Amino acid sequence: MAAVVGHCINIESKLGVPTVPLIISAFYEQVKTHHTIQKGMPNLRVTYLISPVWGKKAEQIRKDIVSESPISGKMIMQEIVENLAKPLTAEEKMTGTIEPETGPERFTDTPENLQQMFLEKRMTDYMPIILPTEEKVAEMLKGTSHHPDEVVGKMAAHTAMPGENNVEVFEHWSYTVRTVAINAVMAGAKPEYLPVILAVASTGKEAISVSDNSFTEGLIINGPIRDEIGLNYGIGALGPFSQANSTIGRAWNLLSINAGNCGRVGTTYMGVIGNPMNWNNVIMAENEEESPWQPFHVRRGFKPSDSVVTLCEGWGILSAKNSKYSVWEKEMDFSGTLKKIVNDQDMLFGAMAVLSPPVANFMKEEGFETVEELEKFLAARPEGQGGPPQAKMPSWFRPQINIVVTGGSNNNYWSYGGMAPRQSVLIDDWR
Amino acid sequence: MRRHISITLIALLFLSLFCMYPVLNTPILAQGQASERQITVLNPRGQPPAIQLKQMAPRLDSLDGKTVYLVNDGYLGTDILLGEMQAWFKENMPEVSTIYKRMSGGGFTAEDPALWAEIKEKADAVIMGMGH
Repeated sequence: MAAVVGHCINIESKLGVPTVPLIISAFYEQVKTHHTIQKGMPNLRVTYLISPVWGKKAEQIRKDIVSESPISGKMIMQEIVENLAKPLTAEEKMTGTIEPETGPERFTDTPENLQQMFLEKRMTDYMPIILPTEEKVAEMLKGTSHHPDEVVGKMAAHTAMPGENNVEVFEHWSYTVRTVAINAVMAGAKPEYLPVILAVASTGKEAISVSDNSFTEGLIINGPIRDEIGLNYGIGALGPFSQANSTIGRAWNLLSINAGNCGRVGTTYMGVIGNPMNWNNVIMAENEEESPWQPFHVRRGFKPSDSVVTLCEGWGILSAKNSKYSVWEKEMDFSGTLKKIVNDQDMLFGAMAVLSPPVANFMKEEGFETVEELEKFLAARPEGQGGPPQAKMPSWFRPQINIVVTGGSNNNYWSYGGMAPRQSVLIDDWR
Repeated sequence: MRRHISITLIALLFLSLFCMYPVLNTPILAQGQASERQITVLNPRGQPPAIQLKQMAPRLDSLDGKTVYLVNDGYLGTDILLGEMQAWFKENMPEVSTIYKRMSGGGFTAEDPALWAEIKEKADAVIMGMGH
């Protein structure tokens, strides 16, 4: 709905043409208290429709548009005509600038009261935090050579798809190295993790997407930094079994909440079901040492000695054993089984398979000398199951699958899901 | 008798020391002091941008003889919705011309410069759907 508001505000202010954006009534609060104000037109004349519209038959919609609006009580079509033809009020003609406030630089109180205040002001993920005293933040800042006042980036609750000319949906907040360090302290991170968190922050990608898809985010971390900061890429690699794995993703969340204004239910968070992976995101340090193929970052053009973080987005991943195609046999056809799972999935935003080292090695033995050969084999769709025609899909549609190798070698497991990697960033630039 | 009194006094002394134990126990005092100790922490928030209020477009005197563009941003069901609205105008306000347009695709947020140019040239008003 934010896109419709944005387009209509541009048409009004740039083209001088009156508009009526049509939005379902479920989004009234979000549009009235956030989108129209943030986009500079608080009195935009929106007409709210009876929720939902998608899924209704034409006959029902025909009745709905001559029914009372659940917000204004007026007949919807009459209201649309009024919104286009009724003269603007003095309030609607108002111009000027609004300077939003985010509070003082410092807060002083007892630790107990501060914990409560951070929670009530929604500056946490509802879990206790490490209170960011000046001493702790100063210690955290030792993890980078960058100046605390350096602006790292800008973030909004929605990031446009790469390569598109898009209307701005949410406002972009800016943040410095110090802001990132404060949130890293709150998450329980160590100073040596800060370059990873700064590299992620430099992309401006939010950890908590506004999308009603209930997306989660992920990080693939490669290179020497994995051992330097103790990232776990053995048994339980994707779980909470090391301080680095547990706090880097949380720091990204807290930064998104506090410095990108993300995750505010009803305005900047609209995930219908929500996603438990949002607690910490999907943090994957690749097990390069036991993988039979080139590391993920090397396949993207980096050197093996580079430390690199790659951001991912999607619905998350789950055990492939959860699939009807994953049947334990005495002699497994790993690549064939994975291909059946891939064929059964929606690849709208891309897909990801996370293989334990033994499974990856079995697949290599099956003849996939490079990971690219395996990805090509998996992504090829059988006749008649090609999904929507490519020509009708937006340019960011990526029917591709990406392989990451991580975890222990104590059994043959792998996971699968609708996640896609986006940009890769050199962590070394933020040391 | 004196012996009994002494035993009773000693017993009372032990009993009183036992009862006073929580008061003498220093951690209790330390906890009380800690809860009143104030510390200073830093604000973790970023900097939101200033908001420049934008000018709304002047409204039409009436819709009679005007051209209204019904613009579909591509969300599911919007074609049905705008089709029904177009039919309503035809039946109830036949003096209004309506033109249905589908945005060029590429996601809801994608700009459509060709359509914006056409709207600037030909449209008197726009109804756009749908915020879902």
